[in-house]
Amino acid sequence: MSPDRFRPAPSSRAAAEAWAGIRDALTTVVPSIVAYGAVWGGLARQAGLSQRELVAMCLLVTAGTAQFVALPMLQAGAPAWLLVATTYVVNLRHYLMAASLAPYFAHLPRGRLAALAHGVTDESYALTMARFARQPAHPAYFAGAAGATYLAWYAGTAAGGLPGSRIPDPHRYGLDFVFPAVFIAILARSVRAPWQWAVAGAAAALALAVRAAVGGTWHIGVAGLAASALAVWLAPAGDPGVEPGPRAQGPAAGRPAPGEMAGGPPEPPG
Amino acid sequence: MRAGLLVTFAAMGVATYLTRAPLLLVLARRRLPAWLARYFAGLPIALLTALALPLLVFAPQGPRAWATDVPAAVLVALLARRTGHLLVAVAGGVVLVAALRALVG
Repeated sequence: MSPDRFRPAPSSRAAAEAWAGIRDALTTVVPSIVAYGAVWGGLARQAGLSQRELVAMCLLVTAGTAQFVALPMLQAGAPAWLLVATTYVVNLRHYLMAASLAPYFAHLPRGRLAALAHGVTDESYALTMARFARQPAHPAYFAGAAGATYLAWYAGTAAGGLPGSRIPDPHRYGLDFVFPAVFIAILARSVRAPWQWAVAGAAAALALAVRAAVGGTWHIGVAGLAASALAVWLAPAGDPGVEPGPRAQGPAAGRPAPGEMAGGPPEPPG
Repeated sequence: MRAGLLVTFAAMGVATYLTRAPLLLVLARRRLPAWLARYFAGLPIALLTALALPLLVFAPQGPRAWATDVPAAVLVALLARRTGHLLVAVAGGVVLVAALRALVG
């Protein structure tokens, strides 16, 4: 009997990975995204958007932070070019996230990459990098996590904009804490080697300094861009997590890819 | 529905996509030099740290949020380190932060 008999078919593996992405999103970030979506929906109605307009904005813009920033600008009658430019600046951090996801999707055709690019968000990125540090990378996981976070955002915003709905207070139930908690949990699981501590320490110092001095979301891009440079000098060349990875291999390759966060031995999935 | 708004929203969507797609499309199809692969190995750690810490330190409620949020963040880190489970760590942190906020008021 061939061992291949026990290997799952590509389609069933993709389905399992997509479900894993959906499950991980549902059990971590989705409740908070729905709550914040409802907050945004209520604020959007107060800013003068109709229910159809707020739904259209969510479907077209697909970026929660930028949408929160845009609401007071819309209310104040800001020009369209300023809204577009602000959206671009607020989302600049996605360049870095997309860059570090890219090596995992080396085998994908251009069209599928272009479609997956829509899914790059803070939450889907965090869940995906945590997963890929422990399991063989598969694009379906990313698609599942991103799809679940988007649906949560759409559901929350649409519900929050309905007439009669009250703007919820995520702070009261600790739902605002979910976002930093997910990021901290992933870091606590992953950061083990001295070079990883150095990168995290530098990023922490830079992010806090830039956030205090400039405000906005600049700290994410500046700290991400600058602190990662430490890895170029400090990460060991032979570290399997940072070697040029399985460029030509498929998603079932089962080897760590570049960008892996964990320097220590693999652990059971979380 | 106002047509001008729709055009603005569509342009905002294009601006968002322009931050997500280019590097994914370009870098996925190139073999990275070793130094750049090491740089990318550091990126998730740097980005997640930069996302997380300011959310705690610069909370909208100001420094009084530290008394509730920082202990909960420490618990999240300890649970994640000990159990390896995201859900357990995040749920533990949310329960603690909600309880502390109810106590502190």
